[in-house]
This record gives sequence, C-alpha cells and structure tokens, in this order.
Amino acid sequence: MPDGFIVTAIKSFVLVNLVMVMFAFMTWFERRLIGRFQVRLGPNRVGPFGLLQPIADLGKLIQKESLIPVGSSAFLYLVAPVISLFSALMVFSVVPFGGQATIPGTDYQIYLWIADPNVALLLVFALGSFSFYGFLVGGWSSSSKYSLYGSMRAVSQLVSYEVSLALAVIGVVMMSQTLSLTGIVDAQQRDGVWYIVPQFAGFVIYLLASTAEVSRIPFDLPEAEGELVAGYHTEYGGMRWAMFQNAEYIALIAFSALASILFLGGYDGPVLPGPLWMLIKMFIFLFLSIWVRSTLPRVRYDRLMTIGWKVLLPLATVNLLVTSAIVAYRA
Amino acid sequence: MTYDIVFVAASALAIASALGVVLSVNPFYSALSLIMHLVSLATMYLLLQADFLAAAQVIVYAGAVMIMFLFVIAYLGNRADEPTRDIPLWQLGAAVVAGAAVVIEIVVAVASQAFGPGKTVTDQFGNPSLVANSFFSRYLLGFEATSILLLVAAVGAVVLGSKRPSPRVDQPDDFPAPRPQPELELQAAVMGAETAFPVHHMPRKDEDGG
Repeated sequence: MPDGFIVTAIKSFVLVNLVMVMFAFMTWFERRLIGRFQVRLGPNRVGPFGLLQPIADLGKLIQKESLIPVGSSAFLYLVAPVISLFSALMVFSVVPFGGQATIPGTDYQIYLWIADPNVALLLVFALGSFSFYGFLVGGWSSSSKYSLYGSMRAVSQLVSYEVSLALAVIGVVMMSQTLSLTGIVDAQQRDGVWYIVPQFAGFVIYLLASTAEVSRIPFDLPEAEGELVAGYHTEYGGMRWAMFQNAEYIALIAFSALASILFLGGYDGPVLPGPLWMLIKMFIFLFLSIWVRSTLPRVRYDRLMTIGWKVLLPLATVNLLVTSAIVAYRA
Repeated sequence: MTYDIVFVAASALAIASALGVVLSVNPFYSALSLIMHLVSLATMYLLLQADFLAAAQVIVYAGAVMIMFLFVIAYLGNRADEPTRDIPLWQLGAAVVAGAAVVIEIVVAVASQAFGPGKTVTDQFGNPSLVANSFFSRYLLGFEATSILLLVAAVGAVVLGSKRPSPRVDQPDDFPAPRPQPELELQAAVMGAETAFPVHHMPRKDEDGG
C-alpha cells in the first residue's frame, strides 16, 4: 500500500461514489437513448432533460415495503443482494483510471488506482465469480420456483461464458506478458498499438461473452419475463431489488472499464488527461451495450448455450493458439 | 498491526466456517460455509504476499468447484440430504476411525515441528511467473498428468451423461418400449383435449402413391 491507509480509504470512498453516480447516470442515459431508438422521448419530466429521474426512482424504491417471503431463508435472502453488489464494486479496487497525478495546489502525488497487484486480472475474475453466488443464493433462498429456475439459468450461463471470456483475455495477457492492469496499459504503449488491432478476434469474443456475463440483451435469459417472471429476483422488491439491478449495471461498467484497459489502451491517449480518456472509452462500450439492447431480440436458451460452447469456446481456443505461436515466434 | 487484525479475523472466520460445514443441517448452508472457509484461507495467502495463490484459490475452489456443489444442492432441493439418511453402521464406524486417524496425524505433525518463526517469505513467493516456471519445468510431468486426468474425467462425464438407461436383460419390464402413436392421435393430443374441431389426417401425396 504505497499511499497509506487514510489516502486509500479516501480514494475508495471517492471511487465508490463515482461508480454509483455513473450507475445513476447510466440508468437515465439508457432509458433516454432507448426512447430515442424507439422514436419516443423517454423520461424527461424530472429536472432538466429528466436528469433527476434516478433520484426520483430512488425515492420511490426506498419507500417500498420490505417483504420477506414465507418459507424463505431470511438471512440468505437478505444477504444475497449484498454479495452481488459488493463483488461488483470490489472489481473497481484494481481498475486503474490513470497513472500518477498531483493534487492541484499541492505537490502531493497520488496514484489513480486503489491497488495495483501483479495478478489484478485474476482478482477481477475471482471477484466476478463471486457475483454468481449472489444470484444463486438469492434465487434459492426466495423459495420460489421461478427464482430458482432464474438463478439456475443465470449460473449456468455465467459459468459457460466465463470460460470463453477468460480465454479471450489470456490472448492479451500473452502479448503484454503481465497480469497487472497498469502493466497491460504500459505494454500497449510499449508495443505502439492498442490490442484491439492484433487481438481483434479476442476483442469480439470478449464483447459477446461479457454481454452474457452481465446478462444484457440479447443474452438476458436469466430474466426472460415471458418464461420466468423476473428470474432470480422475482421475489425481491424495493431497495433489495435495486441492489441486484445496481450490481448488474456496475458489473457492466466494470466490464466496460476492463475492455478499455485490455483492448483500447486504457488511460492512454493524446492531448486530454488520462482519466478523461478512460471515461470516454468506457462510455463507448456503455453506448454500444445500450445500442445492442435496443436493437436485438433475445436469443433462445439452447442457442445461447450453443453459441457459448460450440462457437465462442473453439474460436477463443484457436485465437489463443495462434497468439501463443506468434508470441513464441517473436520472442 | 493491520496484518495481525486481518490474520486473527481470517483465522476466526476460517474456524467458524469450518465448524459451519460440519454442523449445518442444511447442505446448502454447509456448502456456503465451505466457500467462506476457502475465502478465509485465500485471505491468509494474501497476507503471505501470495496474490496468485489467493486468486487461484478463489477462482478454482471458491468459484468454479463450489458453484457446481451449490448448483446440484439447489437442484436436488429437499432431497439433498438423501445420501446421508440411511448410513449403514459400518460406514459410520469407518468414518469415525478415518477422522481419528487424521486428527492423530495432525497432532503428530504439529508436535514434531516446533512452532515459531518459519522460513522467511521472499517478495517473489507465489509470484505468477515463478509458479509457471515450476509448473512447466520441474513439475511438468505431474502437471501434464493432472491435465490428462481431468480430460479423462470430462470425457467420462460426457459419456455417462449422454447414455440413456438401457433396459436390463433380466428385468425387461422396467423399461417398457414406447407404444407407437398413430399420427392422428398425436395431433389431437398436441391441440389439446378441449379442441372442439375434428382433426383430419391429410394424406400426403407420396403416401398413397407408394
């Protein structure tokens, strides 16, 4: 911990709030944008351009009655959304938003990341696998068939696509020769090329698999309303439901941040300061996600599994073999 | 100081969750306790500067393996404790003996090793490239053998999973052969019993032509 305890605590506090604001903005932006895609206005009443809509939603959700379903395991029912939200937020502890920065007015230097372990990427996956437990525990403890089916679907989908996701990312790791996220950004500067160019196949696999990992359309099968009511959070309401949603959006933001770092050079860019570049790149991925959501229909469940195991996994493996051959040849 | 606090907290959690694994009546809680236990161990690896080991522990055990445990337990529902319901007495006895053997082994091992400061952990301990080097040079044979074992297990699982239960020769009545359904009846069944319309079988051209 090069910064010491207090600086790290302050940075964590700022980051968590920043991510929460991004989440609130994202819900507003998504609804407005989908409105535009569907030739309607979207929420535009609360505040200028409807910008205060998330706060109004929050006010509504907080007032809702807190219910615990009969026959559920109350402790697990209450703790499941916390697991999801916590593991989604924890990912940001290793995401670098820039290099070193000086606090204006002083000459105090801080790093624009909370931790930079040499296995940051593995930690991201470790924490990612923890969000599964939030879904599974939430679905199981609700003592409802729809919740259980929803959580089963969620978990089998996430487990299937995590394999391809990890293999796609390993291509980048091979080229950069490091698992540290700042190291990967440095390696892209060293190689003089963002890894989206040499690792384009990996990038496409990453995009598809990460969409499935955050259960967004066209891969939002865990929440297919027509079949499962609302999936694993059927029995949840009010703020606990909001925490599940929150976790999902934060996971989306985290995957966008990771995509920016792995494939678009992270905080690397000309003229503008690093953190701004990072936000711009994340914004591109968030926009892409909303665009896809408002364009594509949901895939069928068996096809989802087919895409995961019979298309993405072989592609990712081939990509990995080719990359390793090239890296070994050049070394 | 911070390290001591984290160490004590992680140890307490590890012991508590280990007890939870054994003492929980509901297997779902047992599995969750096991996950807590594995995470506490990962925290201790982190304290030892072994980031890679901690991450691998969480991904492989707490993530991949345990999610399958939970998955199966959640699917089985209330039948999850079925295998342990009617244990024969000899199995119980064997379990007690095996448990006692492990306890004796641990006591002997701890007694022979003097407690105290062990080897100093270097900065490089548990570093990913170091782990990779030992995997791919000194322990290559074991590494490859393990991966072949896993592959065999995966193939075996697929074979077992794709096989339909075949009727046993000595008890042919266990699996009655499906009665061939006339097409007309099948269509009526698909449309539902409440269908008021008469369902007519339209002969295809090639049927009467031969």
